[in-house]
Amino acid sequence: MSKIIDIKKLRKVYGDGVELVALDDVDLTIEEGEVLSIVGPSGSGKSTLLNMIGLLDTPTSGEIWLKGQNITKATPAERARLRNKELGFIFQFHHLLPEFNAVENVMMPLLIAGVERKEARQRAIDLLEEVGLGDRLNNRPNQLSGGQNQRVAVARALAGHPSIVIGDEPTGNLDTKSSDMIYELLRKLNREMNQTFILVTHDMAMAEKTDRILRLVDGRIVCEMRREGDEFVSHDLCHLD
Amino acid sequence: MIFRLISGGDPFLELFVAIKHIRTRKRQTALAVGAVGLAVAIIIIMRSLMNGSFETFFQIIFELAPHVLVTPKDGEEQIYLYKTLMEFIWTIPGVVAVSPALSTTAALSFEGKVENVEMEGAIPEQLNVVTSIGDKYMIEGDLRGISSGRRVVLGEEMARRLDVKIGDDVVASFPDATTMNLVVAGVFRTGVEEWDRSAFVSLDTGQKFLGEGDVITYINVKTADPYRADEIAAEISALGYEAESWRTLFPEFEETLAFEKFSNNLILALLLLIASFGIANVMNMVVLEKTRAIGMMMAMGASSSTIRRIFLIESGFLGIAGGAFGTVVGYAISFYLHSQEYVITAPNAPQPILIQFIVDPVDLIAFPLLALALSMAAGVYPAHKASHLDPVVALRG
Repeated sequence: MSKIIDIKKLRKVYGDGVELVALDDVDLTIEEGEVLSIVGPSGSGKSTLLNMIGLLDTPTSGEIWLKGQNITKATPAERARLRNKELGFIFQFHHLLPEFNAVENVMMPLLIAGVERKEARQRAIDLLEEVGLGDRLNNRPNQLSGGQNQRVAVARALAGHPSIVIGDEPTGNLDTKSSDMIYELLRKLNREMNQTFILVTHDMAMAEKTDRILRLVDGRIVCEMRREGDEFVSHDLCHLD
Repeated sequence: MIFRLISGGDPFLELFVAIKHIRTRKRQTALAVGAVGLAVAIIIIMRSLMNGSFETFFQIIFELAPHVLVTPKDGEEQIYLYKTLMEFIWTIPGVVAVSPALSTTAALSFEGKVENVEMEGAIPEQLNVVTSIGDKYMIEGDLRGISSGRRVVLGEEMARRLDVKIGDDVVASFPDATTMNLVVAGVFRTGVEEWDRSAFVSLDTGQKFLGEGDVITYINVKTADPYRADEIAAEISALGYEAESWRTLFPEFEETLAFEKFSNNLILALLLLIASFGIANVMNMVVLEKTRAIGMMMAMGASSSTIRRIFLIESGFLGIAGGAFGTVVGYAISFYLHSQEYVITAPNAPQPILIQFIVDPVDLIAFPLLALALSMAAGVYPAHKASHLDPVVALRG
């Protein structure tokens, strides 16, 4: 497996007067095709780290390498292009565009990429069928349940064949059944397409199904556990609650 | 083409999103389009009324007043070779009437009442073409009656002061003039007080009264196109006579109208500006409501220029839709009002005044385009704001 993300001494400090260190010299390497979960208490810097990897936010210092390319200082336009080509996002709230139906929402990243309309529509329909919403193509978000909307959001995140899918509490708003369904879906897509998944979650049951768990406290990675077979092996001193 | 200039690429995505926004916000869209439409409709109606009233005003002025007034050469009191001069004036293209006149002052007396009067000797047919007095302003008798000699047509005010009726015999006299009896052949009312105190006799009668031979004091010229009066006046001036167009005779007409036009247009432009603020307001609300969606679009890789274009297209659409709607409504209402031929009466006006609504075709193109431009301008700030959102902050809502 090759490195897809390489983070070096990443630091993010918020505030002018009173400084808040959200990320404190984080080093992290993520392999292609890996399903990684990031856990930790609220305010530990999980989302900040995810926003950095997702090119939505810029670090105060340190470097981010994506597929061997240093993208720390990429221009806003370049970052937008990379988000479109390389990244897919799933948020806790589905963030579907309310005026658009399921197909149109899934088409959106493809239209942004300049994919021809007909092709984009076909790809969106295929993906929606894949996530089990083949009969809900023309429903708008307000006509779908929370779980269904989140599945549309998953289809949308995958539409542009991103190399990395980022999930910020992707099942945080769902019941256990829907959560399991979403996770199984992500796992299946990971096996089929070898996409890298980086998930921030509070749900330890879900985290334990991933390949690697990182625990973040006060902007530092305090624990890293890697799956070996059915077991997790701790690489550092870990205090998983 | 214009669209490609604005969007810089395949506009489908921007159009797709903008149209969805517009279609799912029917009420706000209707309000914004309605506000711009109302402004444009009012502007078109008001401007057509303004054009129409200027037209009516000029029609009245051009009907009563000479287009070119020719007076004697410098240093002379009368025009001696007036027949030659008239022949020359007739050869100028665009001249439709040439009315020679001899201006005299007379004391008219009737049954012990005496009034001083400006008495004009004129050829009734030509006088009628120049002033329309014979056709439109006679309240009794006939202007042509004066051509049979020793007859007079009086303004209403003069007839009232002398207390005369048609057929009465008045005496005209003046120092150095020949005293003569004149039969009242008609009474006219123009609404211009000075005129309504005057009197008309035939040119021949006037010359006999004055006793200075076959001379006149001025020539009134009527032209087919009053706006060419300056050129015609210049040709006559070249012969050494004083010739002035209505423009130099009554500069206050055009000055007043220019001022009226300016102040009207200013008010109407402000109206459109206010309507475009309505669009700015709606667009600001859209951007506020769409903050999360904008954040998500950015997360999906939409560039800030794509976001900006979406909102510019949206405000442009509101402007052009409002402009088109207002133009159609404004034109239809102007057309209808014009067809109704409303007339109003004014105190002292000798005849009812026709209210006209004349739409300038240029307005039908210019105002929707102005509405579009102002709406786009109104959308610039909200669109800029949307395109500069921080995606992380926007996604939090």
